[in-house]
Amino acid sequence: MKKIILVLFVITRSLIADGYFWNEKIGVAPVTDALYKRECASCHFGYQPGLLPSKSWNKIMVNLKDHFGTDASLDDEDNRKISKYLIDNSAEKFTQYKRSRKINESILANEIPIAVTKVDYFKRKHNEIGKHLIRQKEVGSLSNCIACHTTAQRGIYSERDIKIPNYGRWEDD
Amino acid sequence: MSKVLVYILILISSMHARGLNSQMNDYMTLLQEEAKLQNRNFKSFDYQRGELIFTTQRIGKKGKLISCVSCHTNELSKKGQNIHTNKVIDPLSPIYNSSRFTNVKDVKKWLRRNFRDVYSREGTAIEKGDVITYIINKDLK
Repeated sequence: MKKIILVLFVITRSLIADGYFWNEKIGVAPVTDALYKRECASCHFGYQPGLLPSKSWNKIMVNLKDHFGTDASLDDEDNRKISKYLIDNSAEKFTQYKRSRKINESILANEIPIAVTKVDYFKRKHNEIGKHLIRQKEVGSLSNCIACHTTAQRGIYSERDIKIPNYGRWEDD
Repeated sequence: MSKVLVYILILISSMHARGLNSQMNDYMTLLQEEAKLQNRNFKSFDYQRGELIFTTQRIGKKGKLISCVSCHTNELSKKGQNIHTNKVIDPLSPIYNSSRFTNVKDVKKWLRRNFRDVYSREGTAIEKGDVITYIINKDLK
């Protein structure tokens, strides 16, 4: 009996922490914009707009000529359309999604991270992963979400969906 | 005499633009006109010059030696891989990937970006025409 109560307690606690009782959604809202997919996700993982606040998207989109060391420039019209999509769907507007909320909460007012990998919450979540697992050719860097998060495409970054190449499932203790 | 020359040029250009759709043919013609303005002695786009552009290594923006081959490989019938993000790149050859070189806006965008990445500047009309000529003809043989 005690065991059952304990199990129920643990489950309830984790559900509260996950925002289950106030309808918080897991992950981030999936990508919906076809132009964004076409123009951005042709070179890298299609990061959901809810992974960064609008101030970050703004900074990224005005600097596409030097986009992490490569030229990703767009013509003005496409740049405007994609910027609008990213800003309309940015983290601070989608705080009903758990990851967007956490990301947003961890960014200081005077901070403008230009990648989700620079966000404090993200760094904390990934600090236990060995360098060799990140640098291996199947992954390359922490910006390659889909290499380990099997459901990243759907905006779901839950622990149970992680599978690190040449390592396997990630069990946090 | 000049008429003959024009016919020859048209003939050459249509040979080089073999298999391209009309918007791409128009773009190639435009590049050719620009090329003539750029260099009076310009005759036609050249496969060998294009190959050199495609395969020459340069110090890229990140300080590493790169060429077009770094990501696209020099087997244009095969898939490549973005060296920065590991993302797979579909084959460049229009013979193996029919969507390639069909949309001028896309072609312009990628030429602009990739010339800047490898050569740290935009390509000239001659260079663009040469490299396109190389890519679209490489696997015809």
